[in-house]
Amino acid sequence: MKTTLHFQDADAFYEQLLDAHAGLEREQSELLNARLILLLANQVGDAQVLGECIEAAKRLPPA
Amino acid sequence: MNTPTTYRETAFTNSYEFTQGSGYCLPEYPFTEPPEIKSGEVHRHQVVIVGGGITGLTMACCLARLGVKAVLLDEDNTVGVKGASSRGICYTQKSLEIFQRLGVYERIVGKGIQWSVGRTFAGKDEVYSFDLRKQSSFDRSIQPPFINIQQFYIEGYLVERIYGLGHVDLRWKSRVVGFEQHKGFATLTVETPAGQYKLEADHVIDASGSHTPFHAWCGATMTSRRGDDRWCIADVRFKSHPPMERHTWIEAPFNGNRAVWQHLMADDVWRIDYQMEPNADPEVVSREEVVRERLQQQFGRDVEYEIVWVGPYAYRSQCLDKLRIGSVFFMGDTAKIVSPFGARGGNTGVSDADNLAWKLAAVLKGWAPASLLDSYDEERHEAAAQNVRVTNRTARFLRPAEGMERLFRKASISLARQYHFARQLINTGRMAVANSYTHSSVCDRTGGQSVQNVAFNWADGSKGGVNDLLAWADGGLLVLLFGDMPSTACQRLRQLALHAPVRCVQVVGPDNRVGALEHVLDPHGYLQGACHVFGHAWALIRPDGYLAATGESVDTGLIQAVERSLGIKQ
Repeated sequence: MKTTLHFQDADAFYEQLLDAHAGLEREQSELLNARLILLLANQVGDAQVLGECIEAAKRLPPA
Repeated sequence: MNTPTTYRETAFTNSYEFTQGSGYCLPEYPFTEPPEIKSGEVHRHQVVIVGGGITGLTMACCLARLGVKAVLLDEDNTVGVKGASSRGICYTQKSLEIFQRLGVYERIVGKGIQWSVGRTFAGKDEVYSFDLRKQSSFDRSIQPPFINIQQFYIEGYLVERIYGLGHVDLRWKSRVVGFEQHKGFATLTVETPAGQYKLEADHVIDASGSHTPFHAWCGATMTSRRGDDRWCIADVRFKSHPPMERHTWIEAPFNGNRAVWQHLMADDVWRIDYQMEPNADPEVVSREEVVRERLQQQFGRDVEYEIVWVGPYAYRSQCLDKLRIGSVFFMGDTAKIVSPFGARGGNTGVSDADNLAWKLAAVLKGWAPASLLDSYDEERHEAAAQNVRVTNRTARFLRPAEGMERLFRKASISLARQYHFARQLINTGRMAVANSYTHSSVCDRTGGQSVQNVAFNWADGSKGGVNDLLAWADGGLLVLLFGDMPSTACQRLRQLALHAPVRCVQVVGPDNRVGALEHVLDPHGYLQGACHVFGHAWALIRPDGYLAATGESVDTGLIQAVERSLGIKQ
C-alpha cells in the first residue's frame, strides 16, 4: 500500500468527489460511494494492497 | 403470503423435510438378522461405516472395490430420507470420475441430465451467463462438468454395485445407539428389529449425517453458524419444460425480489428453489396453495405441472476442528455442513470417502503405516474449511445483512449490468471443485492437485483414460514417466515396483521413443497437461486420482516421494 503521495491532482479529485455527491440524498450518496469503492478496488486489483487499504481505513487515528 | 404471528422452532436440518407431493418410489432392502444377536458374541471388524447416504455408500463401494471387508450400518432400509426426499441434485466432474472408477457412472449418465449453461438474472434482465464446457478447467476430462440427478438414484446404484462386489456387509435397519472409545478400537451398540447387539471396530467411519450422535460421544469441537435465511424447494414435473439450463435469480420479481434457483433433474423433474422471507415459517411456505401461487407467479397461470416434492429448509454451516478422534473418522455432513450453494455438500462427502478408502486399504494390506490415516484430516479438513468459507460468502451475498451489506450488493448488481469486471462480484454459488491439498504431509509441494480423467491411447491405439491406469495400479500408486525412457530409469522403476505398491508406465508423446514394455500414447499432451508437467518428467498419482508429487529425473527423489505419499517417515 502506498502511503506517499500518488495523486496527480489531489485537490481536483477531492472536488470531483464532492461535486458527485452534491444534491444527492443520503441513500444515493451511499450507493455512489459503494460503486466507487468497487470500481477503484478493481483498478488496484492486488489482493494484498486491497487488504492493507481496508485495514488502514479501519484504524482511525486517536482523537 | 400471510406473515405468521408465531414461529415454530426452526430445525436447521440441512436435509429437506418432505411435506407434500406425489413423491418418489424408492427401493427397499432386506433386513437380515445379524449372527451376533443369536450367538451373543462380539466380533471385531476392521472397518464399520455408520450411515448409508451418498458418503457412506461411496466409502463402502470404494472399500469393496479394493477388496477390503467392512460392515455398513444404516438406520433405514432404503435410500433417500424418510422415503421421499431427493436432497442433492448436482454432481461434479470429480464425483463423476470417482463414480466411473466405482462402476456406477454409466447408470448415472443414462439417468441424469447434463448441463453446462448457467444464467444469472436480477430483476427482468440477465446479468451474466457462462458455459462450463468452454472453461479450460473442465474441458479435458472424459466426464462432463456436471450431471444433475436425484441423490437417491446414485445411492441406489451404489447399493446394487456393493451387493455385486461383495466384501461389504450392508446391514439395514441398524441404528447405532451406544458408543465406547477404547485404545485402538471402539465398541458400538446397534439396535435392530431383532434386538440389540454389540460389535467392535478398529476404524469407525461416521457418515451418519447432520444429526450424528458421534459428535457428542467423541467430544468433537466445531465452529457453527446459523442465520435467518429460509428457502422452500418445489420439485415439479412440467408438461412442457423450461430450457435445459441452470437459471438463478438474485432478485426475482416473481418472488418478492428474493432469490430463485431453477435446476433440472432426471425424470423431467425441475427443482425450483425459492428464497423466503427471513425467518419465514416453514409450515406456511410449504402449503400447497402457497407453493402453487409461487409457481404461477413464475411460470404463468396456464403452465401445467405436477408437484413431486416440496420441502422447506434452513441451512447452517459447521466445520469440525478435527476429522478424526481416536478410532472415529468423520466424513460428509458429519465433517462439515455447508449451505447448498455450489453443490459443495454431497460432492465433498464423495471425495472424503475416496480420500480415506485407499489409505485404509493401504494400511490394512500392510503397504503403509497407520500414520498414513492422519493425512485424511490434513487433506479433507483443508477441503472442508475451504468449502465452508466459499459457501458462507455466497450465503452472505444472497442474504445480506440490512444496511451496508445490502448496499454493496446493490452497488455490485448495478455495476455488473454495466461493466464486465463486476460480474465476478455476483455470487450465486461457486460450483464445487476438486479441492487441492496445500498442507498435506503426504503430498509434495509439486503435488496435491486432482488429475482429471483425461483420455490417451493404449499402445494398440485404442482409447483409455486415467481411471483405467488407476484401476491397473489396483489400489497402489501410479508412476507416469513422460518422455524418453533411459535404460537406467527403466531398471530403477522395475526395482521400485518390486519393493513398493507402485506401477509404472511410460507416457509417449509425439516426439518420444518407446522405451518400456508398458507404455501409453499421449499424442495431444492431455495426460501431460492433466499432471501439470512439461517435457521429460514423472508424476506420482495416488489411487484417488490426486498427484502426490512430480519431478524430473528418475532418482532418489522419486523413491522419497513414494515413501512420503504412503506416510513412511523419512
